[in-house]
Amino acid sequence: MSIIDLTSMGESQVNLRDEINERLSRLQDEISDYCYQCAKCTSGCEAHKLLELEPHKIVALLKRGLIDEMINSDLIWTCMSCFKCRERCPQKVAPVEVLFALKNMAVASGKQIPGNYTAMLQSVLSIGLLQDVKNITTRDNKSKNRSDLGLPEISKPTDPTKFQMMLSKLAVEKV
Amino acid sequence: MKSYVLYPGCVMPTEQYAYEMSIREVFPLLDVKLVDQKGFSCCGEPIKSVNQMLSLALSARNISLAEKEGLDIFAPCPMCHLALSESKRILDSDPAMKKKINNFLADEGLTYEGKASIVSILDLLYDIIGIEKIKKLAKKPLNELKVATHYGCHLIRPSEIGRPDDSENPQKMEKILEAIGTKPLDYPEKLDCCGGLLTANLPESALTKTGQKLQKVQEQGFDAFIDTCPWCHRQYDSKQIKAGETVAAKLEVPVLYLTQLLGLSFGISSDKLGLDLNLSPVDKLNLGGK
Repeated sequence: MSIIDLTSMGESQVNLRDEINERLSRLQDEISDYCYQCAKCTSGCEAHKLLELEPHKIVALLKRGLIDEMINSDLIWTCMSCFKCRERCPQKVAPVEVLFALKNMAVASGKQIPGNYTAMLQSVLSIGLLQDVKNITTRDNKSKNRSDLGLPEISKPTDPTKFQMMLSKLAVEKV
Repeated sequence: MKSYVLYPGCVMPTEQYAYEMSIREVFPLLDVKLVDQKGFSCCGEPIKSVNQMLSLALSARNISLAEKEGLDIFAPCPMCHLALSESKRILDSDPAMKKKINNFLADEGLTYEGKASIVSILDLLYDIIGIEKIKKLAKKPLNELKVATHYGCHLIRPSEIGRPDDSENPQKMEKILEAIGTKPLDYPEKLDCCGGLLTANLPESALTKTGQKLQKVQEQGFDAFIDTCPWCHRQYDSKQIKAGETVAAKLEVPVLYLTQLLGLSFGISSDKLGLDLNLSPVDKLNLGGK
């Protein structure tokens, strides 16, 4: 299975897109109405100070249905998922969840996945983990691996074929 | 002695070996047995931005694997702990989703039942083991080290999902650190994020977040910076020099995992706690490191 199956706009993605669409319209209908633009989310946003993300504006744009505009913007990828906006909203609106849905939609719509996400996803699909075991360097420049340090063998999926079968089903089925 | 399945996740067992080593040393002394299990995968949280359903299924899969042992799950990484807890919350409250996910898991002969609890590092140390027991084991004096704590965002938020400490004023790490003779102090930047999750697409910005916080910690004269998250530790310890460059500061803050400092206090040798794997200047502390 290649990463394309999970991310392309091909036939198999239709259901995944439906699911994300559903999630977005639910957020739009049920949540964005509660937002009265107090901007408490933005005042505490970790990405705001550095990268100019404004979560209250994301909610406002969602309310106006400007989803395509948002999924075409790099701005949605500046969220660092600190969950402060979700925690502090007086109206229990969760901009971070809107951003997750928008990023999922961008990927399912075949937009370029930024940076290292492709490699991370590829690695999860092939070995089950974000990355393979690394040799690391000590403070005095010696190279060490797990067994040098007396650590047991790493836990990862024992039957990669079955594991991948599960993941590939997930990518095409409407959950 | 209580037993837990150890869910290691990805970052700890593939590169943050000092966390794993110190966990495997410290918990048996506190009468907690950690059981290893084959077959675990990523928890899914780091790729939630790409596909949230995939995250949900991966977490459910990991829980169901551990459930076969009939034990609760100890997830030391805050990000894994959040992913597993959130999955559990969704699947336990939505039977249709549970059925759907179980349908996927069937390929590997797994079933999510929802019997296992998901335990974090703070649940285990503070609520299950307790301060008294930690105090009794603490023998090596830590000279009232002035320490700054860093909880990691995923350990304390979102509280709706059930997090082990208060989202705005967490104090459990402080209580644990007091019990072993250090002097933890609050500071204005305590809840700031390390930026680690941006490493995937905006690595420079991630380092800037790290550098900004650590610079403030250094300016306030702390002796050491204590964390519990392998993602945060990678930023603050492994990449400290680079993080300093992004804010034009020479950073020299010793960064240790909470479990490393506990181990040192219990008299475990620094080799066994992986202290030579910390890339920040921990020698400054004269705690028996190389």
